Amino acid sequence: MKSFRRMAYPYLIWSAVFIVLPMLLIIVYAFTKEGNSVINIQFTLDNFAKFFSDKVFFYVLRRSIYIAIVTTVVCILLGYPLAYIIACMKPKSQVVMVFIVTIPTWINMLVRTYAWRGILDKNGMLNSILGLFGIGPIQFLETAFAVVLGMVYNFIPFMILQIYNSLSKMDDSYLEAAADLGADKVQTFMKVVLPLSIPGVISGITLVFLPAVSSFFIPKLLGGGKYVLIGNVIESQFLTSGDWGFGSAISLIMAIIIIISMHITKKLDKDNSAEGGNG
Amino acid sequence: MNKLIQFKNIVKEFDSQIVLKGINLDIYENEFVTLLGPSGCGKTTILRILGGFIEPNEGEVLFDGKNMAGVPPYKREINTVFQKYALFPHLNVYDNIAFGLKIKKEPKDIIEQKVMRMLRLVGLEEYGKRRVTEMSGGQQQRVAIARALVNEPKVLLLDEPLGALDLKLRKEMQRELKKIQKEVGITFIYVTHDQEEALTMSDKIVIMNQGEIQQIGSPIDIYNEPANRFAANFIGESNIIDGIMLEDCKVMFEDTVFDCVDKGFEENESVDVVIRPEDINIVPTKKGKLIGIVKSVLFKGVHYETIVETETGTKITVQMTVSDPKPVQNLSADESMSANDFYIDISDIPELTIADITARADAQAWKTSTEELVSITKVDYELKEEKGSYPVTFSTSAGTMHTIHMIVADENKVEAEKTNEVIYAVNIYKTIDDIKESIALETDLKTWANAQAWTSDGDTSIAITNVEYDFDPENIEIGTYDITFGTRGYEYKIDTTEEYNVGDRVGLTFSPDDLHIMPKEGRL
Repeated sequence: MKSFRRMAYPYLIWSAVFIVLPMLLIIVYAFTKEGNSVINIQFTLDNFAKFFSDKVFFYVLRRSIYIAIVTTVVCILLGYPLAYIIACMKPKSQVVMVFIVTIPTWINMLVRTYAWRGILDKNGMLNSILGLFGIGPIQFLETAFAVVLGMVYNFIPFMILQIYNSLSKMDDSYLEAAADLGADKVQTFMKVVLPLSIPGVISGITLVFLPAVSSFFIPKLLGGGKYVLIGNVIESQFLTSGDWGFGSAISLIMAIIIIISMHITKKLDKDNSAEGGNG
Repeated sequence: MNKLIQFKNIVKEFDSQIVLKGINLDIYENEFVTLLGPSGCGKTTILRILGGFIEPNEGEVLFDGKNMAGVPPYKREINTVFQKYALFPHLNVYDNIAFGLKIKKEPKDIIEQKVMRMLRLVGLEEYGKRRVTEMSGGQQQRVAIARALVNEPKVLLLDEPLGALDLKLRKEMQRELKKIQKEVGITFIYVTHDQEEALTMSDKIVIMNQGEIQQIGSPIDIYNEPANRFAANFIGESNIIDGIMLEDCKVMFEDTVFDCVDKGFEENESVDVVIRPEDINIVPTKKGKLIGIVKSVLFKGVHYETIVETETGTKITVQMTVSDPKPVQNLSADESMSANDFYIDISDIPELTIADITARADAQAWKTSTEELVSITKVDYELKEEKGSYPVTFSTSAGTMHTIHMIVADENKVEAEKTNEVIYAVNIYKTIDDIKESIALETDLKTWANAQAWTSDGDTSIAITNVEYDFDPENIEIGTYDITFGTRGYEYKIDTTEEYNVGDRVGLTFSPDDLHIMPKEGRL
């Protein structure tokens, strides 16, 4: 056992250097004055005051959360039926379908998002097709639609795989039991399949909502300068304004929001299974 | 009573494997029917066809006179208690039981009434709010039964429902299930591979094997009059003896004619005679219909299971000559060699090879200092197809030599006409070390002596079950010992309340109606 424990040390060092240390740096930057040298640290809350005093940041944050929620809901609405269809297929077809769903993730996310620019552009593919029917050209780029589209496109495989996982693990005997007790296919789905697949949906939400709420390059590429989300604000603090302290403070606020929202989803999940749909 | 369910010539194939070969079965109202058979016999398939989860390839199922083909499970007045219960993990006990009623959209107060009644029936009044995952196997079992019964089905299907419970709980649930069935008064169709379970609970038992029904009858009928060898073996323990039916009510086995009560066989038809262990009595030899020797006695709690051998098996005795030879030493080449004398049949001589001789003589050579094996390069011998003793000399390339004797003798075998058996073995030479180092001495002795037995027609080999010898393997000394090999004789398993001593000579009796005669064709 002791020698096994020793094998964990490299991992501990790795995670200390690459996970814990950056986090600590963010906290240090968020609470200190700009231009500090490490020797002379000056504590300050200015960065947080700046965030909460300017309503613009609050609006951007609200918009980011809104976009992330919309993205998550669309991912559930599109992903659940597909996951269900895959789970109903023969085992061999299931493997093929899961493979197909994951193929897009092999290509760099940035490249894929650029491709959407080409499709949605004023002279792009979509508008030329619509032009054939005498519609348009329509402004797709630099709208909320384009941003949500890009996010759904990028994150939906995570939702599908999570839901598929929980559906495919479901014991057939539950379905037989429901049918045996008089439930037709729709009732079986509503009363047994759906409730039992909720844990998959919850972890799908976590995997879609988190990257969606903090994404910066999708709104940058598809939303242009006009559709700014909180991720873009953070990015610009680090890359253009050079205000690392303020960027770190926003990151920290985001992290706290995410932790709280994850806690709430987890609790919802627990209540859901514990309560057992009484009534 | 009305026929509630009729299976008519049901055939079912899975991946071109036939699992049901034309099942015909009628089930009546209020019956407790058990489908009994080993795993893979098709009993669960019948249940699933009735439940509507699979469709038969041929034949039809009538329920209340209506053909059930194409009727989905949720439209059948049948409920199932699944093998692993299949309770919904996201619902509590109450909601699991109420599931079917809610689907039927019954009023809330009626649902509550019915569910509470069911909880009382299965003795779980206090557990309504419990999560099913927090309940023990026995409690989950009760919930599953309540969940099925609350829908007031005409038939309850139970698929090995007690399989996962321990023995004590299983017995308790058996009684309870029977009680519940009497109380609700509906048909139970119960699938199990446990014969005791079938005997205690059922009104009717259907014995199945390999997709076919072997026998249908009440527990008592099936126990007392098994239809064939399979049924006799599957239900309870049996002695099954080969016999010949001379005429009605006269059967011959063990060269003796006995009265029996069975009729309708052809003259001199070969039959299987079944005698239950509890139907045989042990009496003094003078009063016995058969005489035998007690071979073993096992205490079984309420009785002793006594094995009596009436006819010993065929026996053969061989001699084992045990020596303690020193290996031949060749100091100049640092080599040692060992080998032993051996017996060989005259009939084996034409096909004898050098490899055979080396193996039989167990000839080995090795470097004395390192024990590294050295190959034997030369085997010299002269041989005639005549009885006698012939020297064989083994030698290595370094010049180490060892001479032993090969003894050619007649084939040593015994033929027993009465039992139609032949048994064969050869005399052997062994060293003290061979005996002491043997881990499974009886098996080694059989191998060394090449002991074999087969039927007189030469077709079937017979196991050699007895190996007797009169030496102590731990403290064996140089000398010659007799080893006797034997086949199994006629043995009877008898349940007695008295304890007999192994080796006692006893008589066996039974009454004519304890002999159950079955045709040989039923043999599976």
